[in-house]
Amino acid sequence: MSEDAADVQRVLSGDVDAYAKLVDRYYDRCARFAIRMLGNRDDAEDALQSTFLRAYRALGRYQERDRFSAWLYRILVNQCRSIAARRSHRERVFVREEALLLNAPDKRPAWSGEDEEFVQRVLNELDPLLREAFLLKYVEELSYEEMAALTGAGVSALKMRVKRACDRLRERWERIRDD
Amino acid sequence: MTEQDAYVAWMAREAKRPVAVDPMAVERVMARVRLEPRPRRRGAGWRWLVEPRALPLSPALGAALAAGLVGIGAFLGHMQNDRGGQNPAGRSPTVAPQPPLASHDTIIKFVLVAPHAATVSVVGDFNDWDAQATPMKRTPTGGTWSVAIPLRPGRHVYAFVVNGANGGTQWVADPMAPLAPEDGLGAPNSVVLVGGSAS
Repeated sequence: MSEDAADVQRVLSGDVDAYAKLVDRYYDRCARFAIRMLGNRDDAEDALQSTFLRAYRALGRYQERDRFSAWLYRILVNQCRSIAARRSHRERVFVREEALLLNAPDKRPAWSGEDEEFVQRVLNELDPLLREAFLLKYVEELSYEEMAALTGAGVSALKMRVKRACDRLRERWERIRDD
Repeated sequence: MTEQDAYVAWMAREAKRPVAVDPMAVERVMARVRLEPRPRRRGAGWRWLVEPRALPLSPALGAALAAGLVGIGAFLGHMQNDRGGQNPAGRSPTVAPQPPLASHDTIIKFVLVAPHAATVSVVGDFNDWDAQATPMKRTPTGGTWSVAIPLRPGRHVYAFVVNGANGGTQWVADPMAPLAPEDGLGAPNSVVLVGGSAS
């Protein structure tokens, strides 16, 4: 039995504190995905709180044959989608303001590698569907089969989204280089 | 590796950096968790009933499945005592009033015609979008899948997860129900209004 499955078992046996170990084990990784996906910490915090709360409520349905991390990620991905849908109006305003910023020539050195805000801004430029696929593939390093189980999309569609995300980033590099 | 590919790799590397996390975040989660009732594992009998099982059907999922999908979105029960079983007219085209029962929940029956599917389940905000939580049952005549579950009053977003015999999975909206507003992620979802409160 894996460490995760053992902790789940302890929670279901009444040891609530065992759930803190699961939360502690996965919080940072989930936080990275939520922040990269949603683009701001407030929404990410909402997504994380509701993800771990919903996972706790649904723990009795967790099947040991599944990886706990994959099961948890499925909830997280959907919470991020729900929050993205709820803030759709705010997002449109945000995107419009962001567009003003992005229209300014991007003269900063793209390779400095030290500006998280810059990376987030580039990720925000991607369509959410492409951003999600890019993050799951290259940041969370999931297989396409795992991604399919999380997102409900087919493997070929996911491969296409990852390719398009990479294409967008390549195009962006060319724009920066040409400026 | 081209400059462009190097840029993509750099972006992935940077995005992979850990993010700063509030040290109290885990404690905040646990504070809310401790207010919750203890979760319980479903019994073996329940698991046997609800576990999806693959049926050896035609491997032609893809287009054939998509073409064969016809949602019905029928709803069986409506049992709100405080409303005397009456559903506000025009709120939802698919909720029918039923004799009042002893709960504010309403039994909703989800139905989808998917003759080439091996398993079908309904996912939504009511089951944490868990594709294993609410499997649908194939009717004896074969092509129709259904499940009836209690839902709280309000607006619920849902979709069907259709698994083909060849292992392919598709999320589909209910063709007979209103679509949820676009979530920006391209996932097709439907909406059901239960009771009167919806936004």
